[in-house]
Amino acid sequence: MRFLEDIIVKFGSVDRRVIFVLIGLAVLVPLLNPVDLAIRPTPSSQRVYDAVDSIPDNSNVLISFDYGPSTRPEIHPMTLGIMRHLLSQDRGHKIYITCLWPDGLYMAKDALKIINEEYDLVEHEDYVLLGFRPGNEAIVKGLASDLRKVFTVDAAQTPISEIPMMEGINNLNDFQFMFTGSAGYPGTFEWVQYGADPTGVPLSSGTTSIQVNEVMPYVQSGQLKGILAGMPGAAEYEKLIDTPGIAIQGMAAQSYGHVVIVLFIILGNLAYFITERRERKY
Amino acid sequence: MIWKRYIPIAIVGFFGSLTLFGWFIENEGIKAFIDDDATQWYDIIASFAIFLGALNLLKLQFLKVLKRQSGWEYSVVAILSFFIVFVIGFFMRGAFVVDIPNTDIQSTYFTQGAAEEAVNHLKDSGITASITPAQWGAHIQTEGGLFKWMFDNIFTPLSATMFALLAFYVASASYRAFRARNFEATLLLLAGIIIMIGRVPIGSLISSWMIMYLLVLVIGILINTYFRSRQLVFGWVALGLIGVTVLGSFMGWPIDQPAVFYLPALQEWIYTVPNLAGARAIMIGIGLGVIVTSLRYIFGLEKSYIGDQ
Amino acid sequence: MSFSTILGAWIAAFLTLGIFSYLYKDNPFYKIAEHVFVGVSAAYWAATFYWTQIYPNLFGRLFAVDSPFASMYVIDKGHEYNGLYFFPLLLGIMMLLSVFKQINWMARWGIAYTVGIAAGLKAFGYLSSNVISQIKSTAVELFSGELSFFAMSGDSIFNNIVIFIGTISALMYFYFSREQSGAYGRFTRLGVYFLMISFGASFGFAVMGRISLLIGRFNDLILFSNPSYNYGTFWMLGLIIVVLGYWSFQNPERTEG
Repeated sequence: MRFLEDIIVKFGSVDRRVIFVLIGLAVLVPLLNPVDLAIRPTPSSQRVYDAVDSIPDNSNVLISFDYGPSTRPEIHPMTLGIMRHLLSQDRGHKIYITCLWPDGLYMAKDALKIINEEYDLVEHEDYVLLGFRPGNEAIVKGLASDLRKVFTVDAAQTPISEIPMMEGINNLNDFQFMFTGSAGYPGTFEWVQYGADPTGVPLSSGTTSIQVNEVMPYVQSGQLKGILAGMPGAAEYEKLIDTPGIAIQGMAAQSYGHVVIVLFIILGNLAYFITERRERKY
Repeated sequence: MIWKRYIPIAIVGFFGSLTLFGWFIENEGIKAFIDDDATQWYDIIASFAIFLGALNLLKLQFLKVLKRQSGWEYSVVAILSFFIVFVIGFFMRGAFVVDIPNTDIQSTYFTQGAAEEAVNHLKDSGITASITPAQWGAHIQTEGGLFKWMFDNIFTPLSATMFALLAFYVASASYRAFRARNFEATLLLLAGIIIMIGRVPIGSLISSWMIMYLLVLVIGILINTYFRSRQLVFGWVALGLIGVTVLGSFMGWPIDQPAVFYLPALQEWIYTVPNLAGARAIMIGIGLGVIVTSLRYIFGLEKSYIGDQ
Repeated sequence: MSFSTILGAWIAAFLTLGIFSYLYKDNPFYKIAEHVFVGVSAAYWAATFYWTQIYPNLFGRLFAVDSPFASMYVIDKGHEYNGLYFFPLLLGIMMLLSVFKQINWMARWGIAYTVGIAAGLKAFGYLSSNVISQIKSTAVELFSGELSFFAMSGDSIFNNIVIFIGTISALMYFYFSREQSGAYGRFTRLGVYFLMISFGASFGFAVMGRISLLIGRFNDLILFSNPSYNYGTFWMLGLIIVVLGYWSFQNPERTEG
């Protein structure tokens, strides 16, 4: 027992680089040797799925790309998942893309590139990339009031008036559903406060893990129709629409990473209690 | 004084109250101005602020180089990177699309020269192609263009890795800093651990029965620590193990029953009930704070933006 | 694969590993990557903000087809001429002029404008969405008879009571104008427990997020180590290790704990 305690205490003073290597390996190894783990969708992800599923046919759906490369692994699979879900059943939905983050423009480009390879889409008839406008909440408020003052051209500089699917789209009230892939400010908060609440258009969101807890109360109050929480949330959505992608592939690495960190916490606390007790004794 | 103090305070008061009360005013002209133009101005000025930030950054880095402060060599790197991307963004365009008419075939070149060369090449093989430079404004997002290339290969890895680096520090901190020193800290840690394990697939592999056995042992250790009675510990552990085993064989050992001890279910309860209560209190608390601060700005009580305390 | 794609992958691998090299210790590779990041971001932001806002929505209005300056210069982005937009232009230029120390107060007007608008927007947004709506959804009917007593997820009488008590007690804890002692103190203590659970959940989620981002970076590095990218990751890793090894050998005293 004492020997074991000594090892634990000694491990407590190990160089932090050893910890870095361990966590690095815990994430890297499962990525190199993929392991299949069963994914269980949580109720809040299920609510997003149900909300998207219950949009009436031939709806106008607004997707906002409010994230950048730094949080891409978490949110990119969500926006892809939502688009795949919208397009998969051939229900005539049209997709309108806006970005509150400058980087969102590039994320949207990349996502559309993938989606265009999978589905037979026509730009300006099935989807339009309106692009980025700086201004955070002021942009959302502007869109809620008059979209055509914020966007007169799309990202490729095509005048809005020449885009067939923009006919009849004047503000957020002309959409039947909105989704924001949000990495912080501006994002979910702004869409709820200035977009969904004033107009009543149903809004769902996929957020980074870090932001989930802040916006969680919106989900319970119904201001948000469900939420996808971080990469595991994205994996759950991939499972729900039955299209495995990068999020599901990452779940083994995610699991092992968590396990290693929990072990660190437990070991660290054991070391702490053992030293405490020994100090009290002597 | 008027220019430096009173006008800014008046601007905040005027536009602040206009925006705030604009929510309640039913006047088309005012409403249209607030909803559309005032917010557009905000967006435009915010964009100028970005330029100001860039100018200040350059000023700082140039000073560092001029004064030969330690690490000035790196400032040269920063200045060079700035100018290269600035030139690509504002002067070079960097996206020239070569299009073969009546086909889907097109490719994008970084420079006019490269595009012309490609067209000449095609001409040699009897194909006529045309060059369309990407429009100014569209050039920053043109697939295959230089700006997008810069974004994908320089900006993306840098910003993404900066954030990913924190994973290692979270691991190190969880090992050194998170100690169950008291009841509150223990609650925090337990909630964190249950969320961490319960939300990922591996959590659903852990049977509720294993958690129950584990709980029996942990409570046994606690009894040992606080009561120091061997009989009590032995009695509890023996009864607990037998109890769990009997219940298990009676129920047929379902992995997710009883749900209270099944991590994914328990996690969901913690997440949507006690956690929600705390998160909501924080949301309302911050909300009240933001409202009060905003009103203080509008009424001119808070003047930190002009350097007043 | 085109040369520019492979070159891009090599640069990306170099920059990624350069930043990761900070885990070993602060070193020139990290410093170079960091400063490239600073310079590139500033120019990148300037370019995107200009081309997505100032160019189409400011100059697009001032130099619209029907503007008085149309004979000199036209930017047709579908806007009508609107002279009022000289006001944000003026504030914007004043903002830029503030880099000069003598007139650095000039930025205040623009800042004041953004502060005013943000305050007006936020005061209402937070009041309606974060305060009123949240209070509304906390004050639910507890004993309507339609709910079950307990459920692991979703509405139930027990859960609603817990949320109700938890929210109130945690809010009370934020109220510092009264000494938190006695029965009141015990109630706010309960609030602290709810806050702690919430912080714990946030901690769990924070870990989750960081690991996901790491997965993303590793995925890219694995991709760039493919033969189609000419093993970019391995070459860059080798280069960084060799140079760092030599550098550490030259600067043995500069180790950090």
